Amino acid sequence: MLLREVEYARPASVAEALAILKQHDGARALAGGQTLINVMKARVASPDVLVDLNGLDDLKGIELGSDGTLTIGAMATYTDIAGSAEARARPILGEVCLTIADVQVRNRGTIGGNVCSNDPTNHLPPLLCAVGAEMTIASEDGERTVAAAEFFLGVYLTAVGPGELLTKLTIPAGKHDGFAAVTLGADGTCIANAAASLNGSLRVALGCVDAVPIVVQPASAAEDAVREAVRGAGLMPPSDVHASSEYRIHLAEVLAVRAARQAAERS
Amino acid sequence: MSDSTTIAPDRVEVQAPQKQWQGQSVPRKEDKRLTQGQGVFVDDIKRHGMGYIHFVRSPYAHAHITSIDVSKAEEIKGVYGTLTGEEVASLTDPFFQLATPPGAHLKDYALALGKVRYVGEAVVAVVAETRELARDASELVEVEYEPLAAVVDARNAQDDGVPVLHDDAGSNMMWESVYEWGDLDAAFAEADRIVKIKELHFHRFNSTPLECDGALVEFNRGTGQWTIHTNNQFPGFAQIMMGPALHCGLDKLRFVTQDIGGGFGNKITSHPQLVACCLLARKLNRPVQWTEWRTDFHLSMSHGNERWFQDTEVAVKNDGTLLGFRTKALDDAGAWLRYEPLGGVIWAQVTPGVYKWRNIRLEFTQVATNKAPCSPNRGYSRMQHLWFTERVIDIVAHELELDPVEVRKRNYIKTEDMPYETPNGCIYDSGDYSRMLDIALELIGWKDAAARKKEAASRGKLLGIGIGSTLDSGTNNFGQSRMINPELQFSGNNEVATVKLDVFGEIVVTLGTTPQGQGHETTAAQVVADILGCSMDDVYVRAGHDSYWNSHAGFSGTYASQFAVTGLSAVKGATDMLAEQIKRLGSVILGGVPVDALELADGTVRIKDNPEAALPFMACGAIINANNAGLPEDLDVTLNCRYVYRPPFEVPDVEKKFGNLTLTYAAQIHAAVVEIDPETGHYEIVDYAAVDDCGIRIHPQIVEGQVMGATAQALGAVVHEAFEYDEDGNLLTPNFYDYHVPHALDMPPLQTGYIESPSPFTPLGTKGMGEGGGAGIHSVCAAVQDAMRGHGDAIVYDSWNPYKRVWEMLQHPEKTRALVEVVDA
Amino acid sequence: MSAIASSKAVTVTVNGVEYEREVEARKLLIHFVRDDLDLTGSHIGCDTGNCGACSMIVDGQLVKSCMLLAVQADGASIETVEGLAEDGELTALQQSFSDHHALQCGYCTPGMLMSATALLRTNPNPTDEQIKKALQGNICRCTGYWNIFEAVKAVGS
Ligand SMILES: Cc1cc2nc3c(=O)[nH]c(=O)nc-3n(C[C@H](O)[C@H](O)[C@H](O)COP(=O)(O)OP(=O)(O)OC[C@H]3O[C@@H](n4cnc5c(N)ncnc54)[C@H](O)[C@@H]3O)c2cc1C
Ligand code: FES
Ligand code: FES
Repeated sequence: MLLREVEYARPASVAEALAILKQHDGARALAGGQTLINVMKARVASPDVLVDLNGLDDLKGIELGSDGTLTIGAMATYTDIAGSAEARARPILGEVCLTIADVQVRNRGTIGGNVCSNDPTNHLPPLLCAVGAEMTIASEDGERTVAAAEFFLGVYLTAVGPGELLTKLTIPAGKHDGFAAVTLGADGTCIANAAASLNGSLRVALGCVDAVPIVVQPASAAEDAVREAVRGAGLMPPSDVHASSEYRIHLAEVLAVRAARQAAERS
Repeated sequence: MSDSTTIAPDRVEVQAPQKQWQGQSVPRKEDKRLTQGQGVFVDDIKRHGMGYIHFVRSPYAHAHITSIDVSKAEEIKGVYGTLTGEEVASLTDPFFQLATPPGAHLKDYALALGKVRYVGEAVVAVVAETRELARDASELVEVEYEPLAAVVDARNAQDDGVPVLHDDAGSNMMWESVYEWGDLDAAFAEADRIVKIKELHFHRFNSTPLECDGALVEFNRGTGQWTIHTNNQFPGFAQIMMGPALHCGLDKLRFVTQDIGGGFGNKITSHPQLVACCLLARKLNRPVQWTEWRTDFHLSMSHGNERWFQDTEVAVKNDGTLLGFRTKALDDAGAWLRYEPLGGVIWAQVTPGVYKWRNIRLEFTQVATNKAPCSPNRGYSRMQHLWFTERVIDIVAHELELDPVEVRKRNYIKTEDMPYETPNGCIYDSGDYSRMLDIALELIGWKDAAARKKEAASRGKLLGIGIGSTLDSGTNNFGQSRMINPELQFSGNNEVATVKLDVFGEIVVTLGTTPQGQGHETTAAQVVADILGCSMDDVYVRAGHDSYWNSHAGFSGTYASQFAVTGLSAVKGATDMLAEQIKRLGSVILGGVPVDALELADGTVRIKDNPEAALPFMACGAIINANNAGLPEDLDVTLNCRYVYRPPFEVPDVEKKFGNLTLTYAAQIHAAVVEIDPETGHYEIVDYAAVDDCGIRIHPQIVEGQVMGATAQALGAVVHEAFEYDEDGNLLTPNFYDYHVPHALDMPPLQTGYIESPSPFTPLGTKGMGEGGGAGIHSVCAAVQDAMRGHGDAIVYDSWNPYKRVWEMLQHPEKTRALVEVVDA
Repeated sequence: MSAIASSKAVTVTVNGVEYEREVEARKLLIHFVRDDLDLTGSHIGCDTGNCGACSMIVDGQLVKSCMLLAVQADGASIETVEGLAEDGELTALQQSFSDHHALQCGYCTPGMLMSATALLRTNPNPTDEQIKKALQGNICRCTGYWNIFEAVKAVGS
């Protein structure tokens, strides 16, 4: 429970936050804190400076463009997303957010934090890969965008580098999405999960099977095609107390089929 | 057959006083403070100038400690001091061991000495001005280790070349004994079939009370006394362990507790940490405070006994009549014997389970491994054994293609045979298992099973129904410890209560127990109010426990399903004494009316035939305590009564391992319905029924609450909860993230039922209860096995069945089927 | 530019009472409230944010106070279990917990009550499923939850 000493800043603007992050090597953004504070309790991570993003309203917006493109600020919480009329344009987002952990965690945890922490068991990294989100990353030097599929680099490692912030996520229009998971108890941590999106071609992203979501593109949503695509991915998931590698490979296939089916059946 | 017979306790006339309060679900006295956040839990207690303790813990499962350097930590401003194993060894004796050799040779101290034996073992304690600082400083403690290979599988702990945890013991075998009753050869000769089960495994978990352990310890230099504010749930045991170690009399160890955030047996063995606290309070001359965090708890506190049952053979008739069994129980005690090897005998309280098995042989071996020490956990040691007997029943039924309900009914001990003497001399006091099963089957809709299976199959699901029975043996005869070690001078049991009438007529009750949610203040008040003929609101039961209250006996505490017997009998005894004294006083004051012409009612003592002639309790209290001049010299009345209830026990026959080991036997019959998704192994418990019989229920709602809570714990344990280690001895489930306990959304619909078979052996007809939840594990195991019937026919061989295992069993049923063989006798 | 500091003066209102304290940045809100403000009704049951024993309502929102720094709560209005009853008069929810035996040891109860309070504020008549969903973040090891569901439901209807 007891954190190492840390300095704290609550910037008033994104620019200020970026400046602090740039000035201090050991600075880290603090979003919902639902992961970061816990790793600090365990003293697994000990940033020198916490840059609290909670005061930055610029990062909280959820907007629906005229073309159906959804833009979600990195600091939008799961509760914000689940309750947002705009976000309903892509219903799967709110639906999945509502199955993450519990009310308290959903009230604080943010979409930005979820993808930036990139815990392989998190719900949103595979989902955002499947729906083809783009991440906007800002630094004092300017902004860049990275496709979700390129955003995730390793466990707790993403394209957001030192001195940078994820500011928003952009999600194209679409409705034919699915998500399936086997979790530790109802609405619990994922043992394996899969997200699918069939808007044009089918894209399936598999979670919990590697350090980053594994994206496959089956030829169709037919069961055989999906299974074949998953098999073709040559998964080598880790074994842990909840699942053997073999079991995860199997689950990935079954869940991919289910997510794809849900995407296909969705009107 | 054994020729000796246990002497059944005398039947106690179950008294039915005007039961205005008993039997009612009255509001709990505890609730008002607890719902307002006004409880006082150990971590809420603060003292001026107190120091916070942080334990430096071993990162290795097994290693020599080659050096410890605390100097850098001690240099930090705000650090008050440290404590190492060497210092502990110079100041204390090792804890007294219950085992005979080789376990007897263990040298167990408050901190690791020379060696660490599990990940999380406390090596050094650091005390500082703040919690954070204590932890900061502990990072500066330099400990060098020389790692050794870890022993993590009890099954090879005794192999050649396997490292030995305790050189003093010479091997990893800690304690062993052979139990045999009846005539095994005859039973196997009589059998039509022998069902052989190679191996069954009961897994390691515990009840993970939401509050972890803790203490605030003060040392009084002038009197040499420690005041230990702690949530330890069995101060009597802690004192007996700590006194000799600290070279002090037991009265120097004052235990104080108010509210405890759940215990379930897991808070019995905190004595090593408490000794460290005592030493530090004395050394640093200031109060010290220890908070155990969740990860610390999972790594180091009171794991439930992990047990293997190997080479089991069951003698059965073709009609399912069970004649006897042989098995080898291999118990994994973890790194130290903190309460062990008592688990090596506690199971024998329920030797045949609820069945008429007369011929039983069990070879018990307990080994040490590089895992956290085991200690009691709700259902302690009986749960393991009862899971085994229930597994045997279902495996026998399935292999012989018999109906598990029929097999149970055929073999249940019958209500007309109660009190029933088991092959090892335990006396089951009362009960009706068949009737309970009928109720459970009715609640769960057993007769519709076939239709439900079909309906589930149409949705692609495998549905299974299973039954689980447990006995909650309550009120230990500590004489059974002599079967572990004949030298031990323990037997019987006791509990204390005091009841007094104070100056202004307040009725004040103190208990020797340390409740953790069981509502003792309420049930004690119910008993007192009925006897004294007053309102429950007029009865003040002091919250918690303080060994200074003089309501404290050798076995005081709250553990092992006994309050309704020992605690309430003590309350009853003390209150009966007080009632009698009030009447004697009344007799004098009311002008010499005979005592039997008086009654207690409406908070007065009055003449039965003339209720107007009444003396209020307030007057009684005032007269004796503050206005007593002129009372007759021979009026021996204090209105302050202390009673020690001593259950009727004999010392068991240690040679024959025979005797009555517990006074009461509450029973639980549960039934579960599960639905498995065969594609993933994921399953849900979709229906659940729990039927309980704990004799007379003083407070039905509290009793039902215990049933529910125990059930929930079992459902968590069978599906999710396990203390799993990797081969290096790292705990893989050190927190609630990976150790998934049931949450709100995990709870199945529950139906409860009950019958009341009064115990003929207890003053109130009550039975101890609260630990019967193991039935949930048994019934879910049975249901999972049932669901897989016709789908590979896998055998459920483990008490932990996470989705991955169920999937495995569906993929490779043959691996599990290889564990079982049926041969014609 | 805002100050970067390892400790900070923090002003919070807890159950209507204003407190001002100098706090280390690393201190969790739960420790601040329990240890510094001596409001020990809220509890700690885990070190990973799973158990909910520390649940509080901060600026109208239910949170687990072990995943929030005290400095983050500067300026906030905080509600804890101690603020529910007025003058010792239990709220309907507290009374219902007692009536339904929804607590045993009472250790989870403060957090549980805060979660249920938050639920009932936005949804005065929750369904069974909504109750379960609302209490998902609060672990109880004693009751098996069934009586807690009943207690919340009784207040709702
Ligand atoms: C009990 C519990 C159960 C949970 N179960 C699940 C679950 O089932 N599924 C799931 O997906 N999650 C789960 N979580 C994790 C939760 O979703 C977290 O909220 C999430 O992982 C992190 O989001 P956060 O906003 O809290 O980020 P923080 O914890 O504040 O930050 C996480 C990391 O991301 C960085 N970061 C955050 N925002 C930015 C940004 N805008 N730019 C750059 N870096 C940033 C931080 O520096 C930090 O390194 C659970 C958490 C808890 C406590
Ligand atoms: S202590 Fe905050 S969630 Fe457990
Ligand atoms: S009542 Fe004990 S944890 Fe809930």
